[in-house]
Amino acid sequence: MKVWAQHLLRNRRAGTLAGLFLLCALLSFLSPFFWTVSNLLNVMEQTAINAVVAVGMTFVILSGGIDLSVGSLVALSGVVMANRLMAGWPLALAVLFGLITGALAGLCSGLLITRGKLPPFIATLGMMSVARGAALLFTEGRPISGFSESLRSLSTGRVLGIPVPVLLTILLYTLAVVVLNRTRFGRYVYAIGGNEEATRLSGVAVGFHKTLVYVLSGGTAGLASVLLTARLNSAQPIAGMMYELDAIAAVVIGGTSLTGGAGTLGGTLIGALTMGVLRNGLNLLGISSFLQQIVIGMVIIIAVLVDSLVKSKRS
Amino acid sequence: MKKLRIHAAACALALAFPACGTPPKSGNTAPAKPRVALVLKTLNSPFFIDMQKGAQAAADTLGIDLVVQAAEREVDVEKQMQIVENLIQTGIKALLITPSGSREIVAVLVKANAAGIPIVVVDTRLDPLAAKASAVKTASFVGSDNYEGGKVAGAVLVEASGGKARVALLEGIPGHETGDSRLKGFRDAIKDSPGIKVVASQTANWERDQGFTVFQNMLQAHPEIDSLFACNDMMALGAIEAIAAAGKKGRIRVIGFDAVDDAKKAMDEGTMIASVAQFPGEMGRLAVESAAKLIKGEAVPENQQVRIELVRKAVAAK
Repeated sequence: MKVWAQHLLRNRRAGTLAGLFLLCALLSFLSPFFWTVSNLLNVMEQTAINAVVAVGMTFVILSGGIDLSVGSLVALSGVVMANRLMAGWPLALAVLFGLITGALAGLCSGLLITRGKLPPFIATLGMMSVARGAALLFTEGRPISGFSESLRSLSTGRVLGIPVPVLLTILLYTLAVVVLNRTRFGRYVYAIGGNEEATRLSGVAVGFHKTLVYVLSGGTAGLASVLLTARLNSAQPIAGMMYELDAIAAVVIGGTSLTGGAGTLGGTLIGALTMGVLRNGLNLLGISSFLQQIVIGMVIIIAVLVDSLVKSKRS
Repeated sequence: MKKLRIHAAACALALAFPACGTPPKSGNTAPAKPRVALVLKTLNSPFFIDMQKGAQAAADTLGIDLVVQAAEREVDVEKQMQIVENLIQTGIKALLITPSGSREIVAVLVKANAAGIPIVVVDTRLDPLAAKASAVKTASFVGSDNYEGGKVAGAVLVEASGGKARVALLEGIPGHETGDSRLKGFRDAIKDSPGIKVVASQTANWERDQGFTVFQNMLQAHPEIDSLFACNDMMALGAIEAIAAAGKKGRIRVIGFDAVDDAKKAMDEGTMIASVAQFPGEMGRLAVESAAKLIKGEAVPENQQVRIELVRKAVAAK
């Protein structure tokens, strides 16, 4: 038991996972409706969009940056994709077009950061507003709707009883874990976040890889927009507001350091699930909407506080 | 790799557990009273708080366990969907909802249908096309006729301005049935008065602070504006502050919608000429009463109109 506890302290991700299980256990005890197959699938489905946005965000934060534009990019990619669908493009092509839109906006942020030497906070703050405005302008503020069933099936479809958004999320995470841990690009992301100057001196094209990180983040925002549009059966220019904060919260609850260089995608997934479970559980318990916001805020603070306390004790 | 394996094991565990878990015991924590959910657009607007109060009072008399929830932001229909999905899991006997998106919310109402939960739509109608396309079944609509309300507001302006005005419009969130209908009613009412021209029309997303900034900008661009119709009072009240800031207090005819308390105060102060009153408390009461009937298997009317009433300065001052 003691060894196990020590292991928990040493392994940050195991700690987060234990936290999630503890939360689940507590909710199962408090509500008879929580621990059922249908509710757990429900939670995973609801978590999918945030989890997808958080993949790109994890890369960005690992590299020592931040991306505040993802919420707006979800809206922009969504309305662009919807517009192409309405123009009669096949689903796959329209989706691709939406992803490219997100990635291109990410490219702009990336270039502003690496070439223009802007702090990531400023560059993506600007992009957040530009992309939101572009989405509103493009649609004249109105939602686009009336798609074929093929898009809807991305949200309502099930394979072996598992909702399609959940499967896509699992697929994305598997892919992203390979990229982060098994490719040169992934290792450079850690290196840049750990010590950018040292990485540069060792001959790595830091600017190129950093830019790529924002392209990736724009791309995952685009992918999230596909899931969101399918779910709402409508692309809204005002969609995705504050998604950046949910994604950042998932990443930090998952134990990734905001200063970069340390963290895992598995942690982020657990972080996203923790937030999803929390929202779901508070709804099931019928807790006041206002109190819910306080609880969620406190969980974010506690998760990071525990982390920093453990770290300072170790060193 | 080892870490990854631990992970996979944990996931497998999570998936395996519920399968062998027992189904929820209903007698355990579920109250004896039937549980009904009221999902609002927001809980930080007096309109919806009044609706909640009306609903709660009815629930108390009828012996209903009312759960009231709303998303953090009024525009966030995705969060509203999550709330509905989550409440469906708790075995609610009826769902009362003010949709944050007339089209989008349909997707989750289908799920309520599948779970056999009767739905009462309150205040904001579903988009008829979207509802038809997904074959969603709602038991009843409880709300005011927003189109008629818009027309009443337009008629007031025609009368007060003597048929000559430069009007600005503050719209609600585009795509929301309530705002769109009010706007359409208003425009139809002034259609036959060629002296009344709409010089600017923009959304302020239902919000007071945005009403302020949007109208401030409108005044910059169109100093000739002498009248304003805002699709809700919150935006109108924001605009009134902008009017004061521009030194034009009392010189612009402001007409709002909802007749909330602050709007009545503004009418007393002479900064607002009229507002179309809705009765959200009554909507809440009717919605809960409908739920009670539906639970007992009784029929409810498909369309339950709640009266609207024009509140003008003289009436408000009483």
